[in-house]
Amino acid sequence: MTSVLTTGVLTARGVEKHFTEGRETVTVLKGIDFSIDRGEIVALEGPSGSGKTTFLSILGCILTPSSGEVVIEGTPVNAKALAAIRKRSLGFVFQQFNLFPSLSAIENVEYALNVKGVKGSEARTEAQRVIEAVGLGDRQNFLPRELSGGQKQRIAIARALAGKAPILLADEPTANLDATVGTQILELFRALAKQENRALVIVTHDPKVRTIADRVVQIQDGAFV
Amino acid sequence: MAVDLATKSLLHDKLRFFITVSGVAFAVTLVFVQVGLFIGLMSNASLTIDQIDADLWVTSHNTPNVDFAHTFPETYIKRVRSIPGVARADNLIVWFMNVNLPTGAVEGTEVYALENFERWNFPQNVVDGNLADLRRGPYMVLDDSAKKRWGAFAVNDYREVLGRRLKIIGRTVDAKSFTTTPLTFMDYRLAQSLNEGELRGNTTYVLVKLAPDANIEAVREELRRRLPYNDIFTKEEWAKRSRSYWIESTGLGLNMYITVFLGCLVGIVVVAQTLYTSTMEHIREFGTVKAIGGGNADIYRILGKQALIAAIAGFALGALQAFALRPVMAGIDLKLIIPMQLYVAVLLGAIALCLSAAVISFRKVASIDPALVFRT
Repeated sequence: MTSVLTTGVLTARGVEKHFTEGRETVTVLKGIDFSIDRGEIVALEGPSGSGKTTFLSILGCILTPSSGEVVIEGTPVNAKALAAIRKRSLGFVFQQFNLFPSLSAIENVEYALNVKGVKGSEARTEAQRVIEAVGLGDRQNFLPRELSGGQKQRIAIARALAGKAPILLADEPTANLDATVGTQILELFRALAKQENRALVIVTHDPKVRTIADRVVQIQDGAFV
Repeated sequence: MAVDLATKSLLHDKLRFFITVSGVAFAVTLVFVQVGLFIGLMSNASLTIDQIDADLWVTSHNTPNVDFAHTFPETYIKRVRSIPGVARADNLIVWFMNVNLPTGAVEGTEVYALENFERWNFPQNVVDGNLADLRRGPYMVLDDSAKKRWGAFAVNDYREVLGRRLKIIGRTVDAKSFTTTPLTFMDYRLAQSLNEGELRGNTTYVLVKLAPDANIEAVREELRRRLPYNDIFTKEEWAKRSRSYWIESTGLGLNMYITVFLGCLVGIVVVAQTLYTSTMEHIREFGTVKAIGGGNADIYRILGKQALIAAIAGFALGALQAFALRPVMAGIDLKLIIPMQLYVAVLLGAIALCLSAAVISFRKVASIDPALVFRT
C-alpha cells in the first residue's frame, strides 16, 4: 500500500536490483524503501515476477542490492559480512520447508543453532524450547519424512525462532499447506512473533496472511504500490 | 556436541554409502593384493640371502642375482680368510641341476651346497632330518615346495641328480627362489662331484662373517684389493640387487605400479562420482546451510568428513578382503605379505584419494547461490 522510511530493526533505503539476461539488463527492483520494527508483522504481496522474492532475498542478506542499502539493527549491511549477519540477525522459513531429511525434528533446529555458534546442552535446551513452542514436543525425534506438511512447517518455524534472531523472513509459508493447516500455522507464527518481539516479513500470495499482518505492502513491477 | 550432519547425511542413503565405500574398498584391496604379492615375490627373490647369516658376499664379477651364479676359483677363499676382521668364510655353490624323477620326467632343481650349513644358520625351517648328516654321504635335503613340481616324496626316497642317485635325508619348508625351481641342499664336495666340468675346483660365492669389532667397509676394501675380479656386496646390497634384477628384467615393478595406479584411478573416479552426485542431490540442503548463516567452510567440513568416513570404512573393508584372500593365495603357493607400513601407507592413500575426490564437490559447493532456497 505504502512505502515507509523509518528506522526499524530492518530498514531498506532506495534498493534497486538489476539482472543481466544475455545482452539485456532487467530491473527487478526500482528504488524500494522499507522498514519494519520489532514485534511488527508485514505481509508483502504481489503477483508472480513482481520482485517480492528478490526483495526478500535482499532483506535476508542472500542477495546484495545493485544500489541502495539495507540496515539491520542500526548497522548498514556490508557485502562481505552477509553470512555473519544471516547467522546473527535473521531467521528464515521457506515454502519448501528445506529441512535436512537425515536429521530429526529437534536436530534440524539444533543444527541451525550450531551454525549460529550455539553448541552442546545450550543448543539442545533452546531447540527443545522452540519445538515445544510450536507444539511438536512429542514429535521431536521424528525425521521430516515422518511428519505432515504442517508439522514440517512448524519445525521450520521453530528453526527460524531458535537463536533469538530479531528478524524472521518467510517465503510463502502456507503455499504447500491446506487451508486449515495454513491458518493454524499463520496463527502460531503471529503468536510467537508477537510473544518473542520479533519482526516478521511474510512474502505471500495467500490472502489469509492479511488477517495476521499489522501492515500489508503491495509490490508490482519492482516497486511498492 | 554439535549435530553431525555429515555422518547422518552420509548414512541416510545407505545404498549410496555402500557404493562409495565399495569404490574405496576395491582400490584398497587391489593395492593390498598387488603390492602384497609383489612383496611376497620379492621376498622369495632374496629369501636365501636374508636367511644366510653372512655379512658380506663375494660374487663373480657382474653376477645379476643370487640364482644366476657364475664360478670362480674356490681357492680365493684363502685370501678372504686371511683378512683381519673376517671371523669365518666358506664357499657356497648355487647351481641349477637336472633331476630324473621316477616317472621318467626330467625337472630342474636349484642346489645350495655348503660344507657346513648350521654354521650359516641356513636353511632355517628344517622339518625333518639333520643338516649335519649331509656331510656323511650322497645325501640331499629337499624343500617341500618340490612336491608341486616333482610329485610326492618322503625321507629315505632316492632321486637321481645329474645321473647320480641321492638319498633324501630331510625336508625343509619355505625355502624358495624367485624362479620357483625347488631348492635342494647338499654337501659342497658332493655338488662339485656332480658337475665336475664346471664346478671342480670352483665355487660361486664366498660367504663372509665378520668379527664383532670389525669395520665392514675396511674389510670390504681389503677384499676388493685382494680380489680385483670379484664383486663384494653387503647382505643388504646383495639382497636388493637380486630383487632389483627381477623387478627390472621382468617388468614386474612396472606392472605393479600400473595396476596400483589404475586401481587408485578407479577408486578415485567412483568416489568422486558418488560424492559429486550426492552433493548435487543435496544442493538444496547446502543452500539451506548457507541461508541460515553457514559459509563454504561449513560445507567443506561436511564434505571432507564424509570423504574421510568413506576412506576409513573403505579401507577397513578393503583390508578385510585382502586379509581374507591370504589363505586363498597361500593355497596356490603365493605369498601375500602386507607389512604394517603398507597398512599405514594405504590408509593415508585412501584418505588422500577420497579428499581429492571431494575437491570436485568443493568447487561445486563454492558456487552455490543460497537464493536457491527460495526456488520451488
